[in-house]
Amino acid sequence: MLEAIELTKRYEDGELALDGLSFKVEPGEIFCMFGANGAGKTTTINLFLNFIPPTSGTALIEGIDVAKDPLKAKKHVSFVSENVMLYGNFTAIQNLDYFSRLAGKRTLTKKDYAQVLGRVGLQKEAFDRRLKNFSKGMRQKLGIAIALVKDAPNVLLDEPTSGLDPQSGREFLEILVQMRDAGKSVFMSTHDIFRAKLMADRIGFMKKGKLVMMKTAGELAHDDLTELYIQYMEEKPAAAGAA
Amino acid sequence: MLRDIIKKEILDNITSPKFVFTFLLCAVLILLSVYTGVANYGAEKKEYTAAVALNKKNLESQPNYSSLAGIGIKVNKAPQVLGTVVTGIEEDVGRVAPVNIAADPNLIESKYGSNPVFAVFGSLDLMFIVKIVLSLFAILFTYDTIVGEKEKGTLKLALSNDVPRDRLILGKAIGGYISLLMPLLVPLVLSLIILLVAPNLALSGQDWGRLLLIFLMFFLYLSVFFSLGLFISARTSRSSTSFLILLFIWVVFVMVIPKVAVITAGQVRPIPSVHEITAKKDAFLQQVQVEGQKGIREWAVKNQPAKGEDPKVFQEKFRQYIQDYQQELTSKIDENNAALERDYQLRKKAQQNLAVNMSRISPASALTFGSMTLARTGVDEYDRFLAAVRSFKPIYTKWVNSKLGQSINFQTGQQSTIKIDDMPQFTLEPESLGKSLVRTLPDYVLMVIMIIIFFVGAYVSFLRYDVR
Repeated sequence: MLEAIELTKRYEDGELALDGLSFKVEPGEIFCMFGANGAGKTTTINLFLNFIPPTSGTALIEGIDVAKDPLKAKKHVSFVSENVMLYGNFTAIQNLDYFSRLAGKRTLTKKDYAQVLGRVGLQKEAFDRRLKNFSKGMRQKLGIAIALVKDAPNVLLDEPTSGLDPQSGREFLEILVQMRDAGKSVFMSTHDIFRAKLMADRIGFMKKGKLVMMKTAGELAHDDLTELYIQYMEEKPAAAGAA
Repeated sequence: MLRDIIKKEILDNITSPKFVFTFLLCAVLILLSVYTGVANYGAEKKEYTAAVALNKKNLESQPNYSSLAGIGIKVNKAPQVLGTVVTGIEEDVGRVAPVNIAADPNLIESKYGSNPVFAVFGSLDLMFIVKIVLSLFAILFTYDTIVGEKEKGTLKLALSNDVPRDRLILGKAIGGYISLLMPLLVPLVLSLIILLVAPNLALSGQDWGRLLLIFLMFFLYLSVFFSLGLFISARTSRSSTSFLILLFIWVVFVMVIPKVAVITAGQVRPIPSVHEITAKKDAFLQQVQVEGQKGIREWAVKNQPAKGEDPKVFQEKFRQYIQDYQQELTSKIDENNAALERDYQLRKKAQQNLAVNMSRISPASALTFGSMTLARTGVDEYDRFLAAVRSFKPIYTKWVNSKLGQSINFQTGQQSTIKIDDMPQFTLEPESLGKSLVRTLPDYVLMVIMIIIFFVGAYVSFLRYDVR
């Protein structure tokens, strides 16, 4: 489970990136967070990964305070970032092997890696190819494979579908649904309204570091999400009061 | 985990084009430098042996001691076997020191002096390659160690796991250093084999010890730039910035500081020019010669042979007087020259020490001075050789003066033929390894301090590094 309690981040230059953000992602749930660039989505993920310390508030992974015990907390989370470049001189399997080992998975074989890479939709002939010539979509798939191999109960995704072609996007969506079905808590920051509507259990809108709206999939069933997005991002003033 | 990080770092480096490029260039440059070093040493040794034999023949062919005293002797500086890896100043400063009654010995006939085209290109010795080329490679291997991973997004991905930052930087440092050493080790081992089997090289046990200490210094020097690269990489957020900063520091360390230190030392502790000293010596020599002629005339007037006195007795007295007087005047000249020289050398030494100590802020200077001291091809060895020749000069002049006095037959005016069997021979005791080591200790210590400072800087910076 992922939980943010009154999470606030003010940078040294005085910019308030997060302002008392609170939410919870339950096991078996996909939470999609929307927001314009600079709204605080990535800052939220950075706080959950302890890349930056919070000014106040708490980020909890499986009930562990990330700021207090980051290494223990990070055992329980996988991360997929927006632009995964990875190691260009390594093959897909070598990249996967390295990050699996960092995640503490040392007993996996080449066969296991091949299975995961197949699962994310990477073509077999690409397994042993150097990443230098991989497209962004292929790299993204590998990034997801890295998260899958770790098999942590929580997954943080930072705009993972940007740059994916429709086919890859669909495969990605299926994987996320599988993760949810396996009981994982999935937090995804995204601009991809179309895919979010297809898979999200809950959706939140952020503006200027605040969560300005939060709705469940049921509540959104009859709403036009695109319209809602534009409305919240452009018109409504920032205000606390998540639904 | 540490092993995985090290393994990944090595694999990432050795599969990169920069590794292949470094390996090939290192192999070509190192082997070429050692090969040319060995070939040069062989040629210089041959030249030295021939010069010594020629000098001896030349001395033996002199018709008398007057002529021998006139031309003097030539002391040849033997080439240093470790000049094969650290040429030092050997090719700039001359290989022959003429010793005669009148002038003060100095080294002349340098390789660059006799063939200036060599000076244009300089020597491509192993120390030069390490100092210039390999230090740049160390920068090339490290400038993006941290910041490059940030740009690729792999740092975030790695640290999203329960990986302690200290372990990550340690693994990257160890792996990166091993990767840097790999392209060096193969050509270096091959170089050692060349030195071992080269027919005209005979390295003593002490020479091998010196060589290993030189190699240790090379590794420390590269470690300074490696840890510096790591440090700057952990202080910047763009790899292009990191590279530019490192290049700037490299230029300051390798080019600016050594030159500025020498110029500053010259300003702070000025010394008279060599010409000034020579002019003073010449003036004194002239004065003594005038006094000498006057003295002889006065003696001749004062000691006119009495009527009926056997002329042989007078001649014997005159010969003894000339011999003693010549010796007295020579000693006077030597003493004056020695005093001038002592003062000059003291001031020069003070200036040198200031320049050396100031330039030691730069690891490049520490490497230059340290490796030259160990290879016995540096300024200190030159000073030692020259000091030994200058100490030898009075011994030689005493011998030649005594021979001169004894050989003149005043009745016939003829001189006996020369015999040089009992001529004093110049010897130079090589500096012991222990002494050299003591003198290079500051260089080792300085490099180790720099490595520690830069590595701790990199370590602390990485613990606080913004990975976003």
